[in-house]
Amino acid sequence: MEDAHRNTPAHPADELDRRDFLKGSGAALVAAGLTSPAAVGAVPPSGSAQQAAPEAPSTFLRFTLNGAPYNLRVEDRWTLAEMLRDHLMGFLGTKVGCERGECGACTVLVDGAPVYSCSTLAVWMEGRSVRTVEGLAPRGELSPLQRAFVDHNAPQCGFCTPGQLMTATALLERNPSPTPDEVRRGMVGNLCRCANYNAIVEAVMAAARGATTTGGGA
Amino acid sequence: MRAFANRNPRTVQEAVAIVQVARGEGRTAYVAGGGTDLLQLVKDHIPNRPGRGELDVLINLKSVPALDRIEVTPAGGLSLGALVTLTELVEHATVRERFAALAEAASVVATPQIRNVGTVGGNLAQRPWCWYFRNGFPCFKAGGDRCFSAGGENQLHAIFGGGPSYIVHPSDLAPALVALGAMFRITGAAGERMVSASDFFVLPRTDALRENVLADDDVLVGVDVPAPALGTRSTYHKIMDREAWTHALSSAAVVLEMDGDLCRRASVVLGGVAPIPWRVPEAEALLVGRRVTPELAREVGAAAVAGARPLAKNAYKVPLTRSVVERTVLALASRA
Amino acid sequence: MNPRQAAPQLAPMRTVGHSVPRIDAAERVTGANYTRDFVRLGMLYARLLTSPHPHARILSIDTSRAAALPGVRAIITHQTHPDIVYSSGSIAGGAQYNDAAKDITLHKRFMFNNPVRHVGEPVAAVAAVDRHVAEEAAGLITVEYEQLPFVLDAEEALAPGAPQVWPEGNIGLNGRNEPRPLGGRQGDPDAGFAAAERILEGRYTTAFCQDAQLEPRSVLAVWEGDKLQLYTPTQGISNCRHDNARDLGLEDHQVQIICHYMGGGFGDKNGSYYHDLIAATLAKATGTPVKLELTRKEDWLGTHGRWPTTQDLRVGFTADGTVTAVELRALSGMGPYLRRSGSLSGIDAYACANVDRQIYPVHTNRTVSGNFRAPSEPQGYFPIQSMMDDVAYAVGMDPVDFARRNMRRPSETVRFTNFSLDECIDRGVDLFDWRNRWRPTPGSDAGPIKRGAGFSFMMFRSGVGPSSAILRLDGTTNRYTLFVGVTDIGPGAKTTMALIAAEELGVPLEQVDVVWGDTDRCPYSVGESGSRTTIMTGYAVVEAARDLKRQITERGVPALGDVRIASATPNPSTEGRQRLCFAAHFCEVEVDVQLGHVRVTKFVAVHESGRILNPLPARDQIRGAVLQGISMALREDLLYDGRNGQPLTAGYYGARHLTHLDAPEIEVSFIETDDGYGPFGAKTVGEAGIILSPSAVGNAIYNATGVRMKDLPITRQRILEALA
Repeated sequence: MEDAHRNTPAHPADELDRRDFLKGSGAALVAAGLTSPAAVGAVPPSGSAQQAAPEAPSTFLRFTLNGAPYNLRVEDRWTLAEMLRDHLMGFLGTKVGCERGECGACTVLVDGAPVYSCSTLAVWMEGRSVRTVEGLAPRGELSPLQRAFVDHNAPQCGFCTPGQLMTATALLERNPSPTPDEVRRGMVGNLCRCANYNAIVEAVMAAARGATTTGGGA
Repeated sequence: MRAFANRNPRTVQEAVAIVQVARGEGRTAYVAGGGTDLLQLVKDHIPNRPGRGELDVLINLKSVPALDRIEVTPAGGLSLGALVTLTELVEHATVRERFAALAEAASVVATPQIRNVGTVGGNLAQRPWCWYFRNGFPCFKAGGDRCFSAGGENQLHAIFGGGPSYIVHPSDLAPALVALGAMFRITGAAGERMVSASDFFVLPRTDALRENVLADDDVLVGVDVPAPALGTRSTYHKIMDREAWTHALSSAAVVLEMDGDLCRRASVVLGGVAPIPWRVPEAEALLVGRRVTPELAREVGAAAVAGARPLAKNAYKVPLTRSVVERTVLALASRA
Repeated sequence: MNPRQAAPQLAPMRTVGHSVPRIDAAERVTGANYTRDFVRLGMLYARLLTSPHPHARILSIDTSRAAALPGVRAIITHQTHPDIVYSSGSIAGGAQYNDAAKDITLHKRFMFNNPVRHVGEPVAAVAAVDRHVAEEAAGLITVEYEQLPFVLDAEEALAPGAPQVWPEGNIGLNGRNEPRPLGGRQGDPDAGFAAAERILEGRYTTAFCQDAQLEPRSVLAVWEGDKLQLYTPTQGISNCRHDNARDLGLEDHQVQIICHYMGGGFGDKNGSYYHDLIAATLAKATGTPVKLELTRKEDWLGTHGRWPTTQDLRVGFTADGTVTAVELRALSGMGPYLRRSGSLSGIDAYACANVDRQIYPVHTNRTVSGNFRAPSEPQGYFPIQSMMDDVAYAVGMDPVDFARRNMRRPSETVRFTNFSLDECIDRGVDLFDWRNRWRPTPGSDAGPIKRGAGFSFMMFRSGVGPSSAILRLDGTTNRYTLFVGVTDIGPGAKTTMALIAAEELGVPLEQVDVVWGDTDRCPYSVGESGSRTTIMTGYAVVEAARDLKRQITERGVPALGDVRIASATPNPSTEGRQRLCFAAHFCEVEVDVQLGHVRVTKFVAVHESGRILNPLPARDQIRGAVLQGISMALREDLLYDGRNGQPLTAGYYGARHLTHLDAPEIEVSFIETDDGYGPFGAKTVGEAGIILSPSAVGNAIYNATGVRMKDLPITRQRILEALA
């Protein structure tokens, strides 16, 4: 391991490495000799009118969200998570933890299957049915799984919880009597940094048994 | 994310045409299956094709009908559309029973969420997960002229077939499909062509910039797997550095055609250790016509890594791969 | 499975001590609002531009192309705002409670620094009408750098001729700007080594572990006149307010900090972060609310993680298994800014009087190190408990017996409020079945898959201290409202505070409402760090409740329209006695020596944390912390390429964090006591669980394989290399 971190003395090849790295590593990282530095500072809005962002390609989208039909224009580049959180009212329950499909916090159900909403596009939802955590307790009545999460202390900080709930909801719909190992396998795509994994599995198992304070039955 | 336009072609030919038209206009078009990995690259400003620009036009292949079918041919083979998801592959009864290596490989890809959208085509054509490439270094795979792992951090890199790039191929399906003798269907400017799985993947010494034969305007549309001969069994074993959700440090796809306790034919293909799925004929040859005993399995494991050329920091992959092959072959042959 | 209930010697209480769901559980399972979920109409989005270099001087910044992009409202850099110094600069462990440090330090840490000293350090920030424009604009800023020599490794940083992170050298400066090591000599180490019959020595290394809370950092800054409102993820709203006010030249009352829900806080967030300053500055410059959002990678490289260490240990002992002397020479890699101390604990768990410790906090050009759950402990305990395990084998003793002989106990001169390590160990030996799981001969199992067991023990601070609470009984609604300046980062502080109030008031929990997470509505609190909320703020709640009861006794319940209000800011003391919590961990692993695979097959954690106020979340604090420790033991690292100083494994994929399938079941048992301090005898829970699991896992791997793994993380690669 020490080797891995050794800063070897300057070697022509290493210099080249560094230079080349900078040349090609994307606009945000580019370092290059440039014209004289422009005046830097807070940029005043140009003119009296508010400058708007340039138009990006967009598409008219029709899909179902928690059972209700939605029609709206979406930019093609919007992720599903971005559309839910920023462009619809009241769907902030879906959390974004990494935006790279590495953590699972943004999990929603698309046609019943868990999907990372940070890694799929809103425009691809045409004609599809999306469920979010808001859809689990539509009239404020917690689902049996949510009750089990409460009873078994499955959320610690709670940030991963909506994603864990969505994956577990789909899992129980397909397999109402899973083993603990099936639960772990089915939920392996949802990280919990509080590492409250034991309690989450216990909660899902309890929900499967119908052993929640309000009883089973969806 | 950068602004781009989504296009929904109705045919593969239309998808190919969109790529060509975009190119003519100086714009960059990429084809998306499930899109999970492509979107990560777009967000990180990493070129999906070496030397090509950032995404302008995204071609949503899911809009093409009939590319998402699993068909069992009358002869007992498989015909998979490129848009079959990994979940569908895992859950398909015939695939599980008769093409176990494929189902097992699909089952250990990433996570359920990724398998639910991830496709056969996308898994096979995914770009490397080398940390230099994914961190934006201008390596061969990004269109550059060097491999940063060669003299750098190469713990996860190739022990076979490396040079001048030392990436490992990230696909789990690839070793399974090579072992099963699959053929890939490709549609390009000149129409459709078939390429065998073993010819599809390209060593860096042939073309350091690419992992496969796909041209920019080629679309991988399907995979055909021949019917297994009587007595054939197969499996896929993947070693990771956590229990899930990462790529193979080493893996083995093994297909054995058994006649009683004698092995008639064998395919042993390694993953996670070479820039392409790495077939080891030396190991296969040892198995043919023999009874698979623990001693033979040990010889097979040793033969599988005889040609390994580890880098400074990945020698551990040699004994690891030897054990993986030994155990996988023995376990498969002993399967009732 | 419920944790074991109160030990028989503790009389049960009405409310406290019974598992209750959190009072905000419904919000938590429906997607509570975290910082990033707050919006203001017309708000701008901000993005950072960060340094691609480990060490470089900025020669020029050209923002003209970015500024010309439609929708861009402001761009700030070190040139536009050269005078904003973040926090206490780089001195004496950041010293968040010490404003003087900010004036004293020679190592000022600015909002934007030039030179930049690590990859991921911010260089500029852009505010624009939407997220995509802000991102594009950040990419259009061109920066001309002069690259400077850099150093990543702490040992190399102290070698002659090493690149200098600061002109004063690479050793972190103390509060007098002196490059002195932490630690020092106790007793007579020379005599102790002379009296030793044998001496063992070894080098251990531990890795950087990002705190990696799942909520990526973001800040919403809103100015109303000369008052700043900041929605920001902080573990301590009071300290966060003060830090930001000080750094921006405001009075404390001009800053309002709001943090209700927080997506994890595992340390070093009990105060401000420089992102607060950036968002506030952009909001001021534009006259518009600004939300700054960090990407996961910016968060990973731009916040903090546990300091990586290199530790040389020497232990002298006699043939009968008595430790006579301990020497530690350690380097803690702090990154370029000394955010926290770099200290290391563990040796104090032993009674040996002859100790020589020199721990150098060292500057490097890696990302910044800071506090992570028990900041000095797991990476301090791993080496000493590995070494003592070796000593036990060397003298032919069971490590448990060796621990009993050598662990620190209260004495005439050093008094404790109580001591329960013997009970912790006894219960663990029993629950774990230690005598049958531990191999007298390490690595003695036949075949490639070997089992073994490891043990570790600790004692950890549970000190009392000042905090505040306000409690009100409303005569109109007949409800009690508790005002406490806590945020709820995961352990359930809000519920704990309500439980304490209900218990002391003798009313049902349902009759108590809690107001929290907002400096304009809550009194001072020490903040959610150092496992202090329950002990300190909880005790303030007890005193406030006592006062309210007294008022009610004297003046009756308030009439319709009237209220009774009590407040308390107690500053209790343990009269010179040490107050500690105790634990013993027992781990069994299965190691596949051909595949380099480690599986934890059994883990028992026995803790004495005083009285357990809410057993269910207390159990899960321990279980989660043990698993975080296992993640540290087996997985987490931040790998750099030494040739160019680039980090390669930022993020959950790169750092190989535990998944559901990587998490074994953890068995927790509490020994409950009441030493008369804290609320009803409660002690530290939150941090205690992470301290031992790395050493318990390491010792179990040794017992299974006969090979001592001295470097964390113990990866598949390292096991295969060690066994090759």
